[in-house]
Amino acid sequence: MRLFQRLRNKSSSATSSGGSNYAYVTARVRAMKSNLLPKETYSRLMNMDLDEITRFIGETQYKQDVDELARKFKGVDLIEHALNRNLAVTFSKLIDISEGELNYLITEYLKNYDIWDIKTILRGKYYNATLEEIKDNLVSAGQLKYNFLSELAEKESYEHVIDTLSNTDYYPILKNYDGTNLPEIENQLDKLYYQRLFNAIGTPKSSDRKLFSKLIRTEIDIKNIKTMFRMKKEGVEDGELEDLVLDGGLRLSLKEINSLVPLPFADFINSLEKYPYWDAISDFASPDMESLVDLETSLTKYSIKSAASFSHEYPLSIVPIMDYMINKKNEVNNLRIIIRGKAVNLDDEIIRNQLVI
Amino acid sequence: MVGEEAIMDPAGLKAIGAGLAVGLTGLASGIAEKDIGAAAIGAMAENEGLFGKGLILTVIPETIVIFGLVVALLIS
Repeated sequence: MRLFQRLRNKSSSATSSGGSNYAYVTARVRAMKSNLLPKETYSRLMNMDLDEITRFIGETQYKQDVDELARKFKGVDLIEHALNRNLAVTFSKLIDISEGELNYLITEYLKNYDIWDIKTILRGKYYNATLEEIKDNLVSAGQLKYNFLSELAEKESYEHVIDTLSNTDYYPILKNYDGTNLPEIENQLDKLYYQRLFNAIGTPKSSDRKLFSKLIRTEIDIKNIKTMFRMKKEGVEDGELEDLVLDGGLRLSLKEINSLVPLPFADFINSLEKYPYWDAISDFASPDMESLVDLETSLTKYSIKSAASFSHEYPLSIVPIMDYMINKKNEVNNLRIIIRGKAVNLDDEIIRNQLVI
Repeated sequence: MVGEEAIMDPAGLKAIGAGLAVGLTGLASGIAEKDIGAAAIGAMAENEGLFGKGLILTVIPETIVIFGLVVALLIS
């Protein structure tokens, strides 16, 4: 009888917090992953001209988005909007089909799109970008819906934008924006995002949660390494760099970053040798390197690869879903790079170097 | 007389055993099929061609209840 009662309590508490439907979502996500463009497609796309690429994209999974937006936009803009819309629809679908704890984690993870959109709008207002330019870059994959975001973009000044956002979690940070300190606000938003994500994960007890946390922390490490390289390359003062890096990395703690930062560029590269990311950067990092493109592409590849290998460890967890989200985002980025590159007649070699395949 | 009354009818015990064999294995198959079925539906929602595979994988745990049924038939 007691066992029965315990079972009943357990099942009722599971429904109140909402049981997660891992089996359904992961199987569906795996099927969705099989719809992603295979690697060979990119080399084929590279040999096509812009019209052919546009037609090709219109025949793939982006068909519906291209058809629906065809009345409003055309050419490269059409594809760009279709890609963004598809990304937003796909990610919102993940939120819609998941339940309980899984839904909560996906929602928290996708909030980086809300932050991305807020940043885009504020940046647009800062540089007096046109409404079309701002709207081109909006991806409503998070909690903020496209209509709301385009209304935000239509506001006259940043004050109005921030006032409209007054009932969101970002307001306490946004209200300090005075029209000049945009980079500072952006960094604080990023920090808030990761802080909230770590709160959502909590202290990971189960192995799949540990893996999820590991994946997020690897992402932070990679972001930090990219930031460090960029800032080192530009010769930014040490004091500023510390505000830009994120806390909570897996291998690179804040303390280690602080000790790496003051080193001269050559020593800085050498001291990265002891981290697992060295394999990804060793071919490209040298004291007299000119461009960071290769290095950043390689690091992005590394994060995609690590997500893929993690996703096989725990098939019924959030990790395969994360893996899909990372790959989907990468596909959209690659297509955008090809289209934008072709549109401005960039050399094929330059476009190819930018692609993360 | 008292001792004889305490002994249960063997046929009744057999019936209980057979019932348990089918009932418990039925529950077990149900639990096993729950996640597989959900996953099959999820995959099918994205790709209808997976219907056949999904169906087959979903009914594989059905073997458990078939074994239970066989045992039940053997007992009774």
